[in-house]
Amino acid sequence: MNKRQTRLFAVISTAIAAVAFLGMTLDTHRQFPALTHSENITPAVTRGKDVWHENNCINCHTIFGEGAYYAPDLTKISQHRGAPYLTAFLKDPSKFYDEKRHRRLMPQPNLNDQEISDLIAFFDWVANVDNQGWPPRPILVTGSSIPGTTLTVAQQDASGPGRTTDPMPPGARPVSGSDDPIALGEALFGTATPVCNACHSIAPGVNLAGPTLAGIATRALETIASPEYAGSADSVEAYIRESITKPSAYLHPGEMYSAGGTSFMPNNYAESLTDEQIDQLAAYLATFK
Amino acid sequence: MRYKSQSVAYWYFAIAMVLFGLQLVFGLLSAAKYLGPDPLLNILPFDVTKTIHTNLLIVWVLTGFMGATYWMVPDESRTELYSTKLAYIQLGLWTVMGVTAVIGYLFGYGTGNKLLEQPLPHKIVIVICMLIFLYNIGMTIKKSGRFTTTEGVLLLGLGSAAVLYLPALLHYENYVVSIYYRWWTIHLWVEGVWEMIQGGFLAYLLIRLSGADREVMEKWLYVIVGLVFIAGIIGTAHHYYWIGVPTYWLPIGGLFSALEPVALVGMAMYAYYAMRRSGLAHPNKLALHWTIGSALFTMFGAGLLGLAHTFPSVNKWTHGTLITAMHGHAAFYGAYVMIVLAMITYAMPSITRRENVDGTNLGYWAFWLQLAGMFGMTLSFGTAGIGQVYLERILGMGYLDTQLKIQVHFLMLVATGSLFALGVGMFIYDFFRFPPRLSVGDSEPLPITTTSAARPGL
Repeated sequence: MNKRQTRLFAVISTAIAAVAFLGMTLDTHRQFPALTHSENITPAVTRGKDVWHENNCINCHTIFGEGAYYAPDLTKISQHRGAPYLTAFLKDPSKFYDEKRHRRLMPQPNLNDQEISDLIAFFDWVANVDNQGWPPRPILVTGSSIPGTTLTVAQQDASGPGRTTDPMPPGARPVSGSDDPIALGEALFGTATPVCNACHSIAPGVNLAGPTLAGIATRALETIASPEYAGSADSVEAYIRESITKPSAYLHPGEMYSAGGTSFMPNNYAESLTDEQIDQLAAYLATFK
Repeated sequence: MRYKSQSVAYWYFAIAMVLFGLQLVFGLLSAAKYLGPDPLLNILPFDVTKTIHTNLLIVWVLTGFMGATYWMVPDESRTELYSTKLAYIQLGLWTVMGVTAVIGYLFGYGTGNKLLEQPLPHKIVIVICMLIFLYNIGMTIKKSGRFTTTEGVLLLGLGSAAVLYLPALLHYENYVVSIYYRWWTIHLWVEGVWEMIQGGFLAYLLIRLSGADREVMEKWLYVIVGLVFIAGIIGTAHHYYWIGVPTYWLPIGGLFSALEPVALVGMAMYAYYAMRRSGLAHPNKLALHWTIGSALFTMFGAGLLGLAHTFPSVNKWTHGTLITAMHGHAAFYGAYVMIVLAMITYAMPSITRRENVDGTNLGYWAFWLQLAGMFGMTLSFGTAGIGQVYLERILGMGYLDTQLKIQVHFLMLVATGSLFALGVGMFIYDFFRFPPRLSVGDSEPLPITTTSAARPGL
C-alpha cells in the first residue's frame, strides 16, 4: 500500500464506523422510552437525580455499575431496602454502620426530607430500567450467603478482642446467647470444630461421611419409638443433643457410619462446645421436620 | 530548540508537572481511605479526593498535549508560532480554570457527573481555551505553508477532542441518556481521538529519535488511525453494557472492543519496526525509553487488560468492580502519561539549560521507579478486583464484608503507589532543577531536530 491508499483506508474505515455508530444511536433513541420507562420520570425522579448529582454520590457509589468503587452499587437498592429504611439511613448513616468495624462510613449527607424522598424516587426509577438483567445476582451491601459465614464477619467475632457491651449498629453487633438459638445453631453448624457440614448435609438424600440431616426431627421420633433404641432421649431436642455428645448411644444403620458398636462421629463435642451451643445446634436441627 | 517560540512549551510542561504532582497527592489520599477508618471523613471525604485525582489527570495531560503540540508544530512546519502571546493567554486561562475547579471541588461545587464534574463556566472556558489553541496552531501551519501528515493526525485528534467535548455541555432529563452521551466525550476521547494524538506524537518522536523514513512512518500512522477508529468508535459499545440500552450493544461491544488492541499492538510494532530499521542511534536514550515504553505499556494496560474484561459474559461479573480501576490506571498511564513524559524528555535538553543530552541518572531512576510502581498498582487493583468479583459478585457476600477481606491488596496499593509517587517526584525534580532556556542559543548541546543522529550539527 502506498501513502494515498493508507490515507483512504483511514478515512473510509472511520467514516463507515461513524455511520454505523450514528445509525445505532438513532435506533437506541427510538428504544429509550420503552427500556427506561421514561413515562415514569416524574418531577420527583428528576429532582432526585439532581440530588444524586449535587452530592457527588457517583464518586463513591456506582449506578448501573458506573461510578467509583469505594461504596456499594445502588442500581437495585430500592428493591433490597424499602423507603423507610433508606430514609432513616440517609438521615444518619452512622447509626447503621460502624466505621471502626467496617473501616468505611458514608459521611452525613445533610439532606432534608424532600430531598431524601426525591432521591428514593430516583433510585426506584433506576431499579426498574431494563438493563439486560444486570446484576446477574444481587449485589448486597452487607451480610453474606456463603455457607458457614451466614452471620457477617464482624458479628462472628463474638468473643474476640472486638467484643464490647456498648450498643452497636445492627450490621456490626456481635451475637450473644440471647439471639435466636436457631440462627446461632445454623452458624455453628458451619463453624464448630470439627465442622458439622464436613460430614452432614441438610439436603434430602445427600449422604456424606455421615447421614443427611434432612428430616432428622421426624426420624428422631421414629427412632425413639423403635424397640432397638437404647438411649435415654425422650424428645427430638434431647435425641439430637445425645447424638452430638454421645454419638454411639444410637448407631445409624450402615457400615460406613459405625463399626464394632462405635460411631465414626467425633466424640469430643461435649468438651469442645458449651451446653448453650449444643442447645443451639439442637434447636436448629430440630427444625428439619 | 530551533525556534524561539517553542519555549512556550516549557511553561506548559511546568504547569503540567505541578498538577501531576498534585494529582498523586490526591491519589495516595484516596488509596489510603481504602484502608480506613478515615480521619478526614467529614473534611475531605473520598468523593472529593477522587474527583480531584481524576480531574487533575485530565487537566495536566491536556496541558502536556498542548505544550507538546506547541513544541512539535514549529519543528514540523519549520516556522515560529503564529502568536506566543495567545499561547500564554491560553495557558493562563487554562491554569486558572483548572485550579479554581479543584478549589471548587474542595467546597462541593461540581456537577457530580463522573469525569465531567467541571461546573458549566469552567466547561465554557475549556472550550474557549481549545479554540484559542486550535486557532493558534492552525494559523502557524497556514503561515508556514508546510503541513505534514503527523501534524495533520495530531491536529485532527485535538480538533475532534474539542468537538466531542460539546455533548458534555448539554443537559438530559433521562439519566440513561446522559450516560449514553457522557461516553461520547469520555470514551471517544480516551479510546479514539486521544489515541490519534498519541499516534501523532509517537510518529514524531520515532521519526526524530530513530531517523526512520518519514514516508514509511506516516503511511503506517494512517493505518493505525484507521484501526483505532474502526474499533474505537463502535467499541463505545462496551460502555453501553447494563445501562438500559438495546441488547444488541452487547455482542457489538464484545466484537469491536476485542479489535481495539489490534491498533495498540500495531503501535507497539510500529515503534519496534522503527528501532529495528534505523537503530537506537539517537543520543537522547531516555526519551527513547519513554517512547518505546509508552507503546508497550499501552499495549499491556489498554489492550491486554482492557480485553480481559471486555466480553459481556465476563463483564457481567466484573462490571463496576476494582477490575475497572486496574485497567483504567494502566491504560491512562501507558498511553497518555508516558507519551507526554516522552515529549517532555525529548524536549528537555534544548528547552532547559541541561547539558546532558542522554538523560540524567535521576531521569532513569524516575523511569524505572514509575514503571515498577505502576505495574505494582495495576497488580494490586487486579488482585483486589479478582477477590471482589469472586466474593461479592459470584458468591454473594456483602460489599462491606468483601472489602474487609481484601484489605491486604489495599496495603499493597498504598505501598506500590508510594513507589510510583517517588518516581514521579524524581521526574518533577529533574525537570525543575535546570532553568529554562528561553532563547535559541549557540550553547545548545546538540541540535536534535535533525533526522539522523549520525549527522550532528546539520
